[in-house]
Order: sequence, then C-alpha cells, then structure tokens
Amino acid sequence: MKKLLSVLLAALMVFTLAGCNNSANGGDAPASDAEDVAVFWYNHTDAYLSSVRSAMTDALESAGVTYNHYDANTDQTTQTDQINTAIAKGVKVLVVNQVEASNDDVTKTILDAAAAANLPVVFFNRSVTEEVVTSYANTAYVGTDYTQAGHMEGKMVGDYVLANYDTVDLNGDGVISYVMFKGQEGNLEADARTQYGVEDADAILTAAGKPALAFYDADNANKYLLDLNGAWSNTASKEYMDTILSQYNEENGNMVELVIANNDDMALGAVNSLKEHGYNGGADQVTIPVFGVDAMDFAVALINEGSMTGTVKQDAVGMADAVKTIAVNFLNGNGAFDGINSAYELEGTWRVNIPYSAYNG
Amino acid sequence: MEKKFDKKKILDLLLNNAMYIIIALLVVYVAIKRPKFLGIASIINIISLTASKLPMALGIAGCIVLAGTDISAGKIVGLNACITASLLTTVYKIWPNMTAPFPIPVVLLIVLCVGGLIGLFNGFCVAQFDLHPYIVTLSTQLIIYGIILIYMMLGTNNGMALSGMTEEYKQLITGPLFNIGTVRVPRYVFYALCFVGLMWVIWNKTTFGKNMFAVGSNKVAAEVSGVNVKKTIMMVFTLAGMMYAITGFIDAARVGSANATTGLNYESDAISACVIGGVSFVGGTGKISGVIIGVLLLQVIFAGLNFLSVNANLIYIVKGLIILIACAIDMRKYLTKK
Repeated sequence: MKKLLSVLLAALMVFTLAGCNNSANGGDAPASDAEDVAVFWYNHTDAYLSSVRSAMTDALESAGVTYNHYDANTDQTTQTDQINTAIAKGVKVLVVNQVEASNDDVTKTILDAAAAANLPVVFFNRSVTEEVVTSYANTAYVGTDYTQAGHMEGKMVGDYVLANYDTVDLNGDGVISYVMFKGQEGNLEADARTQYGVEDADAILTAAGKPALAFYDADNANKYLLDLNGAWSNTASKEYMDTILSQYNEENGNMVELVIANNDDMALGAVNSLKEHGYNGGADQVTIPVFGVDAMDFAVALINEGSMTGTVKQDAVGMADAVKTIAVNFLNGNGAFDGINSAYELEGTWRVNIPYSAYNG
Repeated sequence: MEKKFDKKKILDLLLNNAMYIIIALLVVYVAIKRPKFLGIASIINIISLTASKLPMALGIAGCIVLAGTDISAGKIVGLNACITASLLTTVYKIWPNMTAPFPIPVVLLIVLCVGGLIGLFNGFCVAQFDLHPYIVTLSTQLIIYGIILIYMMLGTNNGMALSGMTEEYKQLITGPLFNIGTVRVPRYVFYALCFVGLMWVIWNKTTFGKNMFAVGSNKVAAEVSGVNVKKTIMMVFTLAGMMYAITGFIDAARVGSANATTGLNYESDAISACVIGGVSFVGGTGKISGVIIGVLLLQVIFAGLNFLSVNANLIYIVKGLIILIACAIDMRKYLTKK
C-alpha cells in the first residue's frame, strides 16, 4: 500500500513537471544537438527579467534560431559553470545576464572562456565595464543607463509634488514627509534610484522656492527602509508600511505624505498597506502619492484606477529585441549593431541603451 | 548555605524565563524612547504581524519536535500563495481560459491538498527511507521552487507578480474583525487564534500529539511501546504542509499580491521563532505557548528596531544573537537534566 502510494506520488510529481515543462521551455533544442544561442539569466524569479525572458523567447523563436535558457539562481559560480558547460556543448552565441554586476574579474573569466572557443558574447541588463568589454572582439552590452530610472522617478516625484503641493502636504506644515523603500544593498540601480529619486525631486522643489522633502523619521540616518532579504519585495514594504502607519498617521499629525519605492513591487506593498488603512481607495479617500519603477502591468492598472501615482517604464520587449538582433548578427557574421532599432541609443561600439519612459496614466 | 541555594534558584528562574524577560526589557526600552510603541495602532500592528506568521511556525514546530526540521516551508507558502492569487483573481493571467474567479472554499481545498500532499511527500521520504528531514526538505524545496517558477510563467503572466484579487477574498482575510477606535483588527488574527487552539488540542489532547512527542524524544522506545512511528512522522509533515498552505492562502491577501519570491526565507524566521520559544532541536520538547512567544519576540524586534530607527544591518545581528542566546539557554536546561 505504502509502496503504491510512493509510486503514485512520484508519478504525480513527474507528470506535473513534465506537463509544465512543455509550455515553459518550448524552444529547447534536441538533447544531442547544442542550441545556437545560450541565454544565462541571473535569476528566474525577477519579475522584470521574466518579462524580458518571454519577449526574448518570442523574438528568438520568430528569428528561427534555437536557444536555451539557464537560471543561475543569483549565484555567480553556478552561472560560470553553466557557461563553461554550454561552451563545451558547442553553442554558437553566449547571451549573459551577469549575476555579479560590474565585477570585472567575472566578466574577464567569461570572456576568456568565450575567446578560447572563439565565441561572441552579448551581455545584457546587469552592467559590465566598458574597458573590459571593449578589449575583446565580438562582444556587446545591451543595458539601460542605470541612473536614468532614478532621475526620471525623481523628476516625476518633484513635478507631481510641486503641482499638488497643498494636497500632498496633509498636515499643512509646509514640508512633505516621505518614505523611501530600497530593494537591496550594494546594487547600483537600487543605489541610484534611492539617491536620485529624492535628490532630483528636491532640486525641482527648491528651485521653485519650496523646502526639500523630509524623511518621515528624522532619526533614521539612512533615509530609506531596506528589504532585509534583498528581494525588492512587496512583503517587505507592506510590513514596513504597516509598522510606519501604526506610529505615523493623521491623528498624530505626522502622516507620511509621499512614498517613493525602488520598484513597482515595493510600491504595490505600500499601496496595499495604505488601502488597508483607509487611503488610496478612490475619490472619497485621501490619496498618498506612491511612485515605483518598472511599469509592471499591475502598477499600470493601479495608476489608472488612481491608487498609485507614477512609475518608470523599462522596456522589456525593446531589451529582448536588441539582444536578439545582436545575437543573430553575430550568428550570421554581420556587424554587431546592423539593423538595430534606431530608437535605442548606441554608445560607442560596445553598448546599446534601451531608454526608459515615465508613466503616470 | 541557604543563601547560596536561593541565589541558584533565582538564577534558574531568570534563565528559564529569559525570553519573557528579554521581551519585557525590549518593550520597556522602546516604549520609553518612543511612547507610541505602546499605542493601540502599534500593538495591533505587532499582533497582526505575529498572527500572520503563526500558522507556519505552528506547522514547522511539529517537525522540530520530531528532532527534524523543514526548510521547504517557505517555498510551500510561496507556491500556495501563488495558486491562491491566480485563482481568486479578477485578472486571469495564469489561466487565461478562466471566466470567473473560483469559489473561495474550492481554492482553500485546493491549497490544503497541495500543501498536504507536499507535506505527505516530505514525511513519506523521511519515514520510509529513514532520511534526515533536512536532506528531504532541502530537495523538495528545490523541486517546489522549480514548480513555482514554471507556474508563474504559465498563461500570459510572464513571471509578473499576481494581484487584482477579488474583494470577497480580501475581505475574508484582511477585512475588519472589529475596530478599536480607528484601528482595524484584521480577520486573520482571529484565524490565527483558531489555529493556535486547534494545534494546542492536537498537541496536548490527542493520541497523535502524544505519539509525536514520543517519537521525537526516542524513536526506538516509541516503536517498542507500540507507536506507529512512520505514520506519526507522515502525519506531522502533512499537518505542517497544510499549515504552510494556510499561511500562503492568508499571505496572498495580506500582502495583496504574490510572486515567485513570496515566502522567501520564511522558514528561517519560523524555525528561529520555534527555537527561541523552546521547541528544542533535541526533539520531544516544546509547547504551543513557546511558539507564540518566539513569533511574538521576532515581531517585537522587527517593529521595535523600526521604531528606534535602528540601522537595518543591525537587525540581522540582533536576531542572530537572540537565537544564539535562546539556544544556549535551551541546551543548558537539557544539560542540567542529564
């Protein structure tokens, strides 16, 4: 009986896996034959990268090249091993979303391995350094100007607060108190968004003769709250926001008047907390402006219903398209940037920047 | 002579109640610095945070009583949160063919089955192949992680966070139980209380509960005295799996969305809470009240350090020290028994 149960359980698990696998990895090359393009992802849980991944799957499929996705699960060692294995397997182009962003030694290790097999490499999304990339042939980087999202968010915050100053200033003390949610320590994008999200807003406000934004808790020297798991998660921001609202609220006259988050997920957590406390629920309730980055579908929906104020769009389809174009160019022996969409900003011979755009409904 | 004896007694008393004393000291300290820490809003917030983490800790506590552990817990929570969020929603992304959200009882049943089956699978491997639970759950958490990632890519979702849950479901979980002034006590606090009651009865008043402690303190002795050890282990893990499923079911509404990182590292907090509350890794000892104290202490630390505007990096250190102290006190009790 128990043996039967065990067999059934095992069979169930395998079926579930096999069943799902078809839909998720439809483009796998036959096992005996290496794929043309091997794509190495830093982490399959990342929501933005997941949308890049499915856009890239579509792009590569319609370009008629075989491909395979690898998940490093945030571990550089795993990724380096995966790359070496893929090279040994005989892939033709490496597409790398390097786990340890801006770590030159890692980039060199990857490029040395690729050069030994005479393979082209396309890095994307997570930054690599110019001097390393340009010292190798057949290498390119598709990224974004990582400071741009922070600047755009800061500008959006500044413009919005300036235009609605008296509405935003709930307690009428003339100063806007804000909270900043940071996704992760030691991540360039998180650092830039945390810094410029406030600095640029302050610049706009002070230029118009208003005081700079004030962090809601004057004793917090960091001037941000951090997801302790480094996961940029809505759970973290929700729990922080709940805790903040138990101390800072309208009754006490010290309500947080503005929320700036490093990404939409964290913005969402804050919005959900605010909704539970009777804010941001529609025209008859007070709305605390909440800003995020990424323009996820749910954030766009929240902005359209008025529960969230703004986000910055990082173009997933554009990034996937640029990577595909370069990879196919390498595959066919063309110049790296031949036929690339002119909307993207080329930087020297090594880098393509996919522009961000602001979204506020 | 007599005086010395008294000193030892007092010391024992202090050490045995060290966790209560630490909580009290922490609360007093924070309250002096920030009086609002003891305001109604803040107390309700801490109670709500505690309630949201309780079902999971209660489940994992059973595995620890068996002298085991369960590190797949967080991923089981995550999977069930994603399943819940994908079925009780008004935007059909994972299952584009859906035309209406599922009825809530059906979804609850589905997650209980999913959680229970995964738990049963864990328990089965532990009992049948005599593997250490650490190894088994280390493996299953990887398997579940893979399933979550695949699940989140289904339909038109592309790995995005799932939100847009139905109002009915959100109300069921986070709707007001009652209000104290303007402060709302969410319904899940009541559910957590129910689970505390349920688990207390299971642990203390049922044969299964007694068997669990017997197996935890000495497997061979339990076997000899006629306890079905394998069945007990499987039941403990199944029950734990169902508690994680409940946690996921509640968490999706509590947080307002679910994604592939939901549940990340939850198990480490739950295990810490149990250990702090005196559910010993040695096996066979532990109380429901201890689990509650453990969870509460961690949430008091979280909220308290937040009120004190303590640097985030220090929170790790404080947590680590607390766990270490708790374990040291716990082992000391055990050593003196010997």
